[in-house]
Amino acid sequence: MGDYALLYILFAPFFGALALIFVSNRQALLVRGIAAGSAFISLMASLYLFYSYDPVRGGFQFIQRFEWSRQLGISLYLGVDGIGTPLVLASSILLFAGIFVSWHIKDRAKEFYIWILILAAATIGVFMSLDLFFLYFFYEMSVIPMYLLLGMWGSHTKKYLEMTDPEGVKQRDSVGFIFNFGSNSKEYAAMKLVLFLSAFAVAAFMGILLIYKYSGLNTFDILVLREHANLMNIPVLGTTLDKIIWVLIFFGFASIAPLWPLHSWSPVGHAAAPAATSMLHAGVLMKLGHFSIIRVAYEILPETTRELMPMAAVLCMFSIVYGGFVAYYAKDTKYVIGYSSSSHMGYVFLGMAALDYISLSGAIIYMFAHAMATGMLFSMAGWVYDQTHTRDIPSLGGLSNKMPFISACFVVGCMASIGMPGTINFIAEVMIIVGSWNKYPLQVIVAVLGIVLTMAYLFKMMRSLFYGPMDQKYSHSHDAVAFVDRLPLLIMISVSVGFGLFPMHLYNVVRSGVDPLIAKITHVVPVAALPAPETTATVLHEQLAARGAQLPDSRVAQ
Amino acid sequence: MNFELNMTIADLLLLLPEIFLTLWLCLVLIVDFAFPRLPKEQLAYLSVVGLVVTLSCLAWFDLTQISGALFGNMFVLDRMSIFFKMFIIGASILVILASIEYVNRFAFFRGEYYFLIVMSALGMMFMASANDLLSLFVTLEFSTFGFYVLVAYLREDLASNEAGLKFFILGVFAAGLLAYGISLVYGETGKLVFSDMASAPATPGLIIGFLLIFAALGFKIGAVPFHSWIPDTYHGAPTPVTAFLSIAPKGAAIAILLRLFFVALFTFKPMWVLLLAAVSVLSMTYANIVAIAQTNMKRLLAYSGIAQIGNVLIGMAAGTKMGNDAILFYLLTYLFANIGAFAVVIAMSQAIGSEEINDYSGLNRRSPFLAFSMLLFLLSLAGVPPLAGFIGKIYIFVAAIKEGLYTLITVGLVNIVISMYYYLIVVKKMYIAEPIDPSPIRISGPMKAVVYVGLAGTLLIGIYPQPFIDWVVSATMMFSHLPAPAATALPPIPPLGG
Repeated sequence: MGDYALLYILFAPFFGALALIFVSNRQALLVRGIAAGSAFISLMASLYLFYSYDPVRGGFQFIQRFEWSRQLGISLYLGVDGIGTPLVLASSILLFAGIFVSWHIKDRAKEFYIWILILAAATIGVFMSLDLFFLYFFYEMSVIPMYLLLGMWGSHTKKYLEMTDPEGVKQRDSVGFIFNFGSNSKEYAAMKLVLFLSAFAVAAFMGILLIYKYSGLNTFDILVLREHANLMNIPVLGTTLDKIIWVLIFFGFASIAPLWPLHSWSPVGHAAAPAATSMLHAGVLMKLGHFSIIRVAYEILPETTRELMPMAAVLCMFSIVYGGFVAYYAKDTKYVIGYSSSSHMGYVFLGMAALDYISLSGAIIYMFAHAMATGMLFSMAGWVYDQTHTRDIPSLGGLSNKMPFISACFVVGCMASIGMPGTINFIAEVMIIVGSWNKYPLQVIVAVLGIVLTMAYLFKMMRSLFYGPMDQKYSHSHDAVAFVDRLPLLIMISVSVGFGLFPMHLYNVVRSGVDPLIAKITHVVPVAALPAPETTATVLHEQLAARGAQLPDSRVAQ
Repeated sequence: MNFELNMTIADLLLLLPEIFLTLWLCLVLIVDFAFPRLPKEQLAYLSVVGLVVTLSCLAWFDLTQISGALFGNMFVLDRMSIFFKMFIIGASILVILASIEYVNRFAFFRGEYYFLIVMSALGMMFMASANDLLSLFVTLEFSTFGFYVLVAYLREDLASNEAGLKFFILGVFAAGLLAYGISLVYGETGKLVFSDMASAPATPGLIIGFLLIFAALGFKIGAVPFHSWIPDTYHGAPTPVTAFLSIAPKGAAIAILLRLFFVALFTFKPMWVLLLAAVSVLSMTYANIVAIAQTNMKRLLAYSGIAQIGNVLIGMAAGTKMGNDAILFYLLTYLFANIGAFAVVIAMSQAIGSEEINDYSGLNRRSPFLAFSMLLFLLSLAGVPPLAGFIGKIYIFVAAIKEGLYTLITVGLVNIVISMYYYLIVVKKMYIAEPIDPSPIRISGPMKAVVYVGLAGTLLIGIYPQPFIDWVVSATMMFSHLPAPAATALPPIPPLGG
């Protein structure tokens, strides 16, 4: 495979989805087999990608480029750097795990797997796009499957189920649905998610179009644009163009992240989604936001990023605290995990905002770590829901007798989510906190308090789900005993703990992506160069130091 | 003016597709009369054969780059007219295939139905070649004539009659406007051929004349504020006719608008850019907002079509060759998505006898194929990757951003989100709602073929658009003299590899 690893990772799920179209829904095992098989190919290829990515050489590797449209200046340009590689790996791990988490879906299983494969493949596509057009293409493509996944296989919230009022049913179909916050139906959640994300996506697209127009290069190629696009100091509407573009790009993509004032679609969507979709949604879909901001705003507008990124440092505090408090008071398992996710995404923004080698690397590693931790929690919340048919925390309890394996894994999931030493989350959190302390001490204090808050709500939920007295109506619920049911949890736990104990390769990979980026933005040469002393990277860093402010970008030059 | 008809047989070659189709049209009619017992679907296939031959003839013209003008520049055959003729013929073939089953609903004149469809197609082919004001008027009326009859074809159905009447009255009114506009323009300039008017000074009479002509053509393409006939006519007309009406005349009228604005009126560009921008914003915004409240599938598609025309006008307002490429490309994506969506509506209306959106409930359980196709067609119309409509919209936006039409693009982007809402309402019904009557739905063979063609076009253009882009770029060669946006030379592509 070698050079074509990216194509395998990206197209295995697409071809899997294509093959599923021609399989009958009655052949249940074949349907699942094809889905699992294509996810497995993707997973193997991304493991290969992750371990054969050369952090010493750095830059974009495994590049594939196909001319797509000359007139529009678009090419299917794929490549990963140290930032994309771990996220590709996280996506394919969660896809593979998600297929097994949803192993017992009976209703229209074939369609479910088709959409989840498309969703995951589109997400992976964003992480490897080096062309602004395809970045948007895959981004937008990942939104629509969510509508069907939520709508067809999702579940209403308790509040909705209590609404038996026929008037309410009529309301949900009305034009004024958007003002109708009371109806917590899955249709509402799905529609809100799609419209919200699309609305902000088109804002980001406007930013992309402005980059295209004002660079005058007639190309969407990120590598060309970051070298040659000169967007600075063009006065527009009382400010400068680069600021307008940056704001459009930042808020357009921050909506999916989700940054605090733009988060409202996310917990509703998490709650309505089936388990595997929640996993992918919280695990990787939300990271599209951070990743796209890094890929577009950081790469193409480094100066503006330095100027405006403090905005994110302010908003991320609200994200952390608001998400944490709502999660503490929420009574729905998935709401708790959903708000916890949106709170944890605030850490990533903090890590990004500090514009520091350590903190940005921490943010990238945190994305990877959070994908595993939240994947575990959502899959177990899904298991509990499947067994008890409720997500209402107060009515549950004492399930650890019935499901010892799940409750044990839940403890591990909570530990990972909190950032217990031994899990990769710990390393990531420490890096974010250490890296941003110099610049944003207040935010770091808030973040540490946020960790305490995380402990509070996760332990509270754990206690009331698995310990204490059990309602007799849940006595028929049972544990995950089959291999296929345990496999996804075991995968995610071992990845989380494994990288927690041996983080060095992950760290090196991420650093190789972060270093040139931060060097370009802050003009500060990294203190700790990559480990091997006699490498080109060291030579490069010397060159960087010698040239001072006029840093060439190392990643293409090699 | 003198019309010397010193034509040779070689000149007639340019008219070959039209002449052939005219003869074939007579053949269809003769066969219908001569063999009254012949099953009418044989006539459909006979018409399709004629259209396919015409299509291949046009493809041959396109490949060998045959072009020329006839009758003192009244009739021009260039690559753009070939594109639009192929567009129209393609739409007609798909519509005829989609109507084979539906025609059994008509009490009388089942054979003449095909005759009328092909005749309208013939009229529109002439329209695509019209190059002066007289041929504009004649061909426009020629093509509309067939539609007047077709719209009212369901004689027992009051809605169809009402649709026919409404279409007729407003159509005749538009024809009056057109004739008046033409007379004003002719009075001011003394010229009829578009290219001769290029340097005329902007007198009030000329401007009013052109506004009237634009109004008449705006009626044809159904842009706001000339759209009032569209919802009722689309609703009442037999569904295959609605499908035809929603695609082919728009294409033909766009061809004329392109010639009118870019050949005759190019000196007035600053003025008509504003006009087009205003009409485009109105069309998109009005139609998308009103479409939200629709409960009937045909009306929803009618409003969606108005909004799509708003998008097309963004490309025209760009006023560059690239904008025109984008228009042609967009129409191509619209053809496949729209004809596919209407094919599903026809199939549903055959199976359950209703076109209400509520009756699409649970379609995914009744016919996964139809539901999936409809999903893709609607998403393509909404502009979701990786479908054709997405590329079409991006192409238009890219062409417009090069000209700095920020407001139009912003409105267009916002409208994508609005339109997504009502398309997803239909998706919700099809996929999420449970069926009232769970019996499976059967689809006839020709109908399946139409849906497959729609799917193939929608996916292929979306995933690999380059050949289609090349085609439209070569089709608008006549506009290559337009000032191109200043583009910096592309810097050398960085070496591949890390």
